[in-house]
Amino acid sequence: MDLAQLLNGLAYGALLMILSSGLAMIYGLRGVMNFAHGALYMLGAYLAYEVTQRTSFWAALVLAPLLLAAVGAALELGVFRRLQHRSHIEVGLVMFGAALIIERTIVLIWGDDTLPVKAPSALDGTANVLGTDYPAYRLLIIGVAAVMAVALVLWLKRSRTGLHIRAASHDTETAKILGIDVDRVSLVVVALGAALAGLAGVLAAPYFSVQPGMGQSILIMVLIVVVAGGVGSIGGAMVAALALGLIQTAGNVWIPSVAVLVPYLVAIAVLLWRPSGLAGKRVA
Amino acid sequence: MHKKLLAAAVPLMAVGAMTGCGSSSDSGSGGSGGDGAPLKIALIPPSGGPLAVFGKDSTTAWQFAADEANANGGVDGHKVEIVTSQTDGTPAATVRAARKATQGGARFISGVITSPENGALQQQLPSMNAISFNTFGKDDALTGKQCSANAYRTVQNTAMDVDAVAKSLEKLPATKWAIQAVDYATGRTAAKIFTAAAKQAGKQVVLTQYAPLNTTEFGSYITKIKNSGADGVFAIEFGADGVAFVNQGAQFKLFQGLKSVLGFNMVSEPLFDALGDKIEGFYNNIGYVHQLDNAKNRAFVAAWKAKNGGKDPYYVQADAYLGAQTLFEAVKKAKSVDPAKVKTALDSLSFDSIVGQVSIRPGDHQILRDSYLGQVEKQGSGLGWKVINTVPASETQPQADPSCKL
Repeated sequence: MDLAQLLNGLAYGALLMILSSGLAMIYGLRGVMNFAHGALYMLGAYLAYEVTQRTSFWAALVLAPLLLAAVGAALELGVFRRLQHRSHIEVGLVMFGAALIIERTIVLIWGDDTLPVKAPSALDGTANVLGTDYPAYRLLIIGVAAVMAVALVLWLKRSRTGLHIRAASHDTETAKILGIDVDRVSLVVVALGAALAGLAGVLAAPYFSVQPGMGQSILIMVLIVVVAGGVGSIGGAMVAALALGLIQTAGNVWIPSVAVLVPYLVAIAVLLWRPSGLAGKRVA
Repeated sequence: MHKKLLAAAVPLMAVGAMTGCGSSSDSGSGGSGGDGAPLKIALIPPSGGPLAVFGKDSTTAWQFAADEANANGGVDGHKVEIVTSQTDGTPAATVRAARKATQGGARFISGVITSPENGALQQQLPSMNAISFNTFGKDDALTGKQCSANAYRTVQNTAMDVDAVAKSLEKLPATKWAIQAVDYATGRTAAKIFTAAAKQAGKQVVLTQYAPLNTTEFGSYITKIKNSGADGVFAIEFGADGVAFVNQGAQFKLFQGLKSVLGFNMVSEPLFDALGDKIEGFYNNIGYVHQLDNAKNRAFVAAWKAKNGGKDPYYVQADAYLGAQTLFEAVKKAKSVDPAKVKTALDSLSFDSIVGQVSIRPGDHQILRDSYLGQVEKQGSGLGWKVINTVPASETQPQADPSCKL
């Protein structure tokens, strides 16, 4: 695999990493798969379109995650907190319903057409990486993902809120007994998770395309990443996302006829040999 | 873990159970085939998903044709009534909606978008005593092994489109081609026919690769094309896949180094805004262009623009309008809206249409009409088509599909 293909795998894995980190955080704390995560990512991409039309892509990169954080807070207060004592299946169903509502609302507002979002002109061309011309925009995605990964892990390991998140994700009841305000922690986690989905949506807008099916199509990949990474483990999800991006790219290059099966084979293999995922129960 | 897997599976099953819910709006009452009976047409488009826009545009065109006919006293005296029933775009929901519409008196069905929906519907038509007009689904099997005595296709099928592209290959400057195709029947068939045509034209295919439907990341495929030494790309990628391929190809500067970029159903008017200037110079097969120079088309385009804010019709709207014209011509010829009589008229129908002279092939109920190769060019403030080559129906799959047993 040449350098360009290696970077292709890293870029795709980086985007999956940003998206799956948020999902893994919510899963780790609330114990339910947020099936609306793909819809939040889609909303981020459509907001990127709207903000880019009015101002610039860079403004979208800041504004869309902030707006998605507000949506995440609303989901926490309106759904997760109210249903925290209900079964996971019920919460999952509610979130699936929320996804359908969000996606349909987006179509009602922006229509069915595929919408264009241009990469910033400074990143529209290619950059030279060790003698290989490679799209500068993809390098931005890799860079943003790297910064996010370092910042998130440091925050979880070094900050007091991060400590509370790790404690609550490990054992909610014991964390409560020790005086941790789990509701507040959950509000932070769900808002941040939604913001990361929004960030991924903004970055994906010029990368893929902004269209009504984008949330559903990536959700399955992200679910595989979270399961393979370790239920609720952010670090595991990050490693799994990068690995899946690289494996998928290698599959496309070397075994194209069966490459489509690669993510599912990876998920099955991990569940068979290491059912708790690559990182097990570790949060960060 | 079991609970978690169950938690993941239950919503999916619930969605499966929820699919098929539809809503309908009825602008008329039932009818029979007698004198003065209305010509009642059921349209069954999808309400959501990436194809919903085509369902909406198809419905608009049928309503336009109905309004136009009614303003002139109906079709041979029969008032045209449109019943629209939206579905989720699944075959089961479409068949249910069709059955409900026929129970309400509609005997003519259209607006169904995808080939799987059309395929499922076609098998049920005889039991519904209804006739369908497929104006969008291009799968060859619909007029092949899945054909039905009650189903008619008024749009070119995939084989005709591929033949039109293959027969235009000599007009394109590239000599070493890479094929980037979607990994299902259409992509593989198109790649196979193109490869044979390239060989015949003295050109070379240096790479053939397939990407699964709904691929979003084309980086690895594009890198392989760049490394292949190709000076032309034949891309069979549709909808969002096509947009992603073009956008990412532009980011990789793929197209700057190529002599020809030829799309198959990849570039079309609804995507011009999304794709922008980067597709200027791209070639693509086209089934209809509003510039077609004949009296019927000029009148259609003028009337359409007058009613639609000066916007030209594009292929989905024009193909739906052609479907309506086919039905109306058959009703005039049959002098009845009785489906049996209309069917008899359709089986040997030939008429002057917005795309020139067309006829229904009796052996498989496929319409015979010209196909085109177009090139995207700047037109005014936007993009438009320049017709590079016209391939007559006699050169694109002129024989009925032998696997069709009517």
